[in-house]
Amino acid sequence: MRRACCFALSAALAASLLGCGPKRPSAVRHDPPPPPPVEDASGQEGGLTRPDDVDWGPDIEPVDRGGTLDQEFLGGPEGSPLADIYFEYDRATLTPEAQKTLEHHARWLLRHPEARAVVEGHCDERGTVEYNLALGDQRARAAMEYLLSLGVAGDRMTVVSYGKERPVDPASDVAAWAKNRRAHFAISP
Amino acid sequence: MTRSRPGLLLVTGAVGALAAAPRARAQEPVRQIVITGTQQRLALPDCVPEAGDEASRQACETVTGVLRSDLAFQGLFRFVDESLYSALGQVVPDAPDFEDWQSLFANFLVATRARVTGETMEVELFVYAVDSTQRILTRGYSGRSDEARLFAHRLADDVMALTPYEGIAQTRLVFSSDRDDPDGDGSIKELYIADYDGHNVRRMTVNRSLNILPAWSPDGSTLAYVSYRSGTPDVYLAQVRAGQSLNLTGSRGQSFAPAWSPDGRRVAYASSRSGDMEIWIANADGTDHRNVSNNRAADTAPTWSPNGREIAFTSNRGGTPQLWLMDADGLNVRRLTRVGSWSDGAVWSPSRINSEIAYSSRLEAGTFEVAVIDLETRQVRQLTTGRGSCEAPAWSPNGRHLVFACNRNRRWHLALVDRLGHQLQTLDVGPGNSVYPDWEPRASRGGLTLTRSAAGVTGRTDATAGGAESSGTDPWSRRSP
Repeated sequence: MRRACCFALSAALAASLLGCGPKRPSAVRHDPPPPPPVEDASGQEGGLTRPDDVDWGPDIEPVDRGGTLDQEFLGGPEGSPLADIYFEYDRATLTPEAQKTLEHHARWLLRHPEARAVVEGHCDERGTVEYNLALGDQRARAAMEYLLSLGVAGDRMTVVSYGKERPVDPASDVAAWAKNRRAHFAISP
Repeated sequence: MTRSRPGLLLVTGAVGALAAAPRARAQEPVRQIVITGTQQRLALPDCVPEAGDEASRQACETVTGVLRSDLAFQGLFRFVDESLYSALGQVVPDAPDFEDWQSLFANFLVATRARVTGETMEVELFVYAVDSTQRILTRGYSGRSDEARLFAHRLADDVMALTPYEGIAQTRLVFSSDRDDPDGDGSIKELYIADYDGHNVRRMTVNRSLNILPAWSPDGSTLAYVSYRSGTPDVYLAQVRAGQSLNLTGSRGQSFAPAWSPDGRRVAYASSRSGDMEIWIANADGTDHRNVSNNRAADTAPTWSPNGREIAFTSNRGGTPQLWLMDADGLNVRRLTRVGSWSDGAVWSPSRINSEIAYSSRLEAGTFEVAVIDLETRQVRQLTTGRGSCEAPAWSPNGRHLVFACNRNRRWHLALVDRLGHQLQTLDVGPGNSVYPDWEPRASRGGLTLTRSAAGVTGRTDATAGGAESSGTDPWSRRSP
């Protein structure tokens, strides 16, 4: 049941990516990163351009440098192999750093086709509950749509907004707020 | 003998009340407004135990204290100073000496007596107009002896029924709390119900996930709330008594911030079910979901006007989150708030006298405060200040108070304040963080049996209607269709 819902959601999101979807995260307007290899050729996302075999661009670190990806990305909170990405206050646009991190994540996800990701959108405490839930949704969808654009199949990803309900750092200071304005990637095999 | 006091209005029986009421309201219960204005002085002597036993004495003590507290909370009355009662000796509830009370400048006398017999308790209430020495209300109740507070709340609402305002003492609050989250990592919030004064807290949900943003249906039978129990935030409807629940939105995107239409037939909510965050309206049976905001910005936190024709909501379409208004069909969108850098969580007052919306606003200094905007003048008044950060207000059924949550010293607690920002008080509803309260729109608890009832004044109409708040219109408020 839920899986069917996720398929429907991903199809809708894929469609919105292709067309003139609403509220495009600004990330997709940046220079596109070199697309990673396609994980499957079934064409789940329709006519997205996903060349099968490209060289990594200079701004992408080699995947296998110095160990496995899993080791490289250990340290993501709550046991996730994928590090959190961070946002500006009251913003859901992807920073260049966030894009770079997501490019790593995309490669990891493409190398682990069995893994599924729940993309969680979080906010810091300096906001109200309802708007923060909307903002968390925007953040998580910005991250997911960027991963989609990098070739990760939509049916492997689900978006959940937690608003300000689950801060990773409960303190009330600038450092904690910066850590809490995040998208978190919960991975299940 | 009769001193004419401004604000005292005695209506002669039901005839006078009916004549004053427009025909269209004939189906509403006839109310006999006796106590008007805001400066009537009430005498509330100690409840008299009918027998000398300890149980009756303790029950009376509770009834006295809670009744005084309930009536004081409304801010409508002045009271005879408690220290003066002892000088008068014990009152005879059904035959008071009016000269005593006249000498204390009481306008109304509220006398009670109680008797506990085993597990049963009986309480009687007598209300008198001291000036005219008339008894204007007699009530008797029977119920369980361990529910003395409930008796007192009922008596308070009976007294409030003599004023232009609906009593709220029997209503309850629902709120979200992490007190039963063993890890304290924010992964579990359950819903709890408490009396409006914070007593009698009971847990409601037991699903060990995040349960937030409860909203009571207008008839009090059902709670709409947001639960993460299936992974994503969905809007559920739960019957308060039966405990059965329905997933209203299905797991399609994120859905939250439910708000009932005043007739209870529809629920507005915020959802990303179509892609971006919009205001949706569905029938309360889960059919006919429609997107009414249809805008690329993030739209959230809907609230209905008391007549059901308009919806206020939060949108960042102007750059920052602000309150906007639209017709309930999504047309005629216009911006409402223009001060502050962040406005959210609008709740429309149920009052038919005061056309206003309470909300959370960041006005200055970075903290959030509860504010109210007058819909006619567009003036904003800030109700809270210097209490940390306060948000998520909800109106009392008669529109005279608000409940909300404040974060002070790193703990969220509930607080009450009247609609002008006076008499702010913290509620103790137990450990942990308590957030996102909503106020039961009408008392739905049973438990007491009415054993004796007599209303009506055998006097004549005296003086004119008192305070400005009680003039002609239908002032007790809640959302009838």
